[in-house]
Amino acid sequence: MNMNKLTLALLPLVAVLATGCGGDDGDNGATGPAGVAGVNGTNGTDGVDGTNGSDGINGNLAVFTVQLTNLTYAQPFSPAAIVLHEPGFNTFIDGESASLGLEQLAEAGDPSGVMSEALAATQYLDAVTTDGATPPKSIGGATTLLVPLLDVDDLRLSLTTMLVNTNDAFTGLNAADISNMDVGQSISFMAPSWDAGTEANTETADTIPGPAAGAAGGGGASAGFSAVRDDLFDLVHFHQGVVTNENATDASKEGLSSSILTEADRWDNPTARIVVTRTR
Amino acid sequence: MKLIKTAAAIALACSSSALMAQTIQIEITNLTHAQHFTPRLVIAHDNSVDAFEPGVEASSALAWLAEAGVIDDAQNPDSSGQNFEALLGPVDTDNTSNTWHRFGGLVPPSSSLSYPFDTMDKPYLSILSMLIPTNDAFVGLDSVKIPTEPGTYTYMLHAYDAGTELNDELNSMRTDIVEQGGTPLGGYGAPGVAGAGASPVPLGVGGTGVAVKVGFAQDGTAIGANEVVDGTDGPVHIHRNILGDTSLTDGASDLISTEHRWLNPVARVTITIPAS
Repeated sequence: MNMNKLTLALLPLVAVLATGCGGDDGDNGATGPAGVAGVNGTNGTDGVDGTNGSDGINGNLAVFTVQLTNLTYAQPFSPAAIVLHEPGFNTFIDGESASLGLEQLAEAGDPSGVMSEALAATQYLDAVTTDGATPPKSIGGATTLLVPLLDVDDLRLSLTTMLVNTNDAFTGLNAADISNMDVGQSISFMAPSWDAGTEANTETADTIPGPAAGAAGGGGASAGFSAVRDDLFDLVHFHQGVVTNENATDASKEGLSSSILTEADRWDNPTARIVVTRTR
Repeated sequence: MKLIKTAAAIALACSSSALMAQTIQIEITNLTHAQHFTPRLVIAHDNSVDAFEPGVEASSALAWLAEAGVIDDAQNPDSSGQNFEALLGPVDTDNTSNTWHRFGGLVPPSSSLSYPFDTMDKPYLSILSMLIPTNDAFVGLDSVKIPTEPGTYTYMLHAYDAGTELNDELNSMRTDIVEQGGTPLGGYGAPGVAGAGASPVPLGVGGTGVAVKVGFAQDGTAIGANEVVDGTDGPVHIHRNILGDTSLTDGASDLISTEHRWLNPVARVTITIPAS
């Protein structure tokens, strides 16, 4: 108890000491020299990686349909190889030897070699085969191909299909120029027929894959492709037509007695119509 | 048409072209299976020159070209006065209405030849060449306007029948038959290809005639059994193709049906106009 009283009594005294000195303050001292610079801080940790950019939107595509009409009387067309490409690529060039792919198409009606040769080309844009054969005197279904919009200004169309009641005849288009078509525009091409130059035109059942040879006991895939090149010149050229066995046994000897074709298998140019339409 | 036909076969002729200003490049491609093209007559001309016209009778100059492949005196002196040289004027010269050149040698099937040609500023271009072996078939480019814009221009050409000789399809080398009256065939009939560059397809013999038969006139009346009549089937028209046969020793034709036929077009011509 007594201790508490004493403390209370001292407090006024302390207050008097703090405020009660009446003399002037002394002058401030001179400023001291600056301190040495501190050492640099350590670097901060790296920031986290930014998030990935959003996916790009798809480039615009132009859309083309290609429709093949078989203008012949009795020559079915094999599945056609249709290629859209830039200039500089050719499925074939007349006066030059046929590629292996074209030989397979023209002798056996098999478009796969032509398709893979097109796919390997730097000028390739898109390719498709028609859905099966195109019968004589008929309009085939439309096939659709897609091309980047920026390639429309310099665009080529190539198409090859075999006349299957022949040794190695084919029709189609060789890098036809379809540049700068407007949406909705159509172009129609009338096509002649070529001889691949890879097989002699013997017109026999064991060298022709089509139904005419089949009816004569041959035909089929085994009668199609042969790696032997035995035509007059191993060069692609315009076809001269088939001779057939008409008039083979009369005095004129005009016809080819070993041929299994009849006059109905003949044709004249043009053999195909190809209609290209840009739909988008 | 009756011509002095001494050439039994077309010989190769060589020639060089004169390189001058205003020169265009002309490429011709033989698209047939087994027909050769004889030396090419290339004419740049105005509208007063017409080397051939479908529906119009052939000139004697066209007959010489289509039956024997002859364009000028140098190829065959017997044609002097009747050939294209007589019709057009001197070669490689500005003949006012035209200038022309003979590009020598043969164009075999499936091959191309390219030449420079000075048009001397004439507005139109015509090209003619015989198909051998035929009686009188020729491939023709009929007075196309020469483009003036630099670039490459392509033309597809058809085979025409000059109409100056019946298409008997008989080998002109044969000696077992003669022209009516006894004249040896000589250049009559279908000449083959002689010498270097000869066709691998041989001509047959022993044919009895296609459009006209040995031993019969054009109307079917009998003449000498070994005689063949020299008739005409003009005017100029699109050729109906040869018939041929499959025999080298008999049958109707001395041509080969499996090799010598064609379908149009038979040639492609590409003209390149250089940037001036």
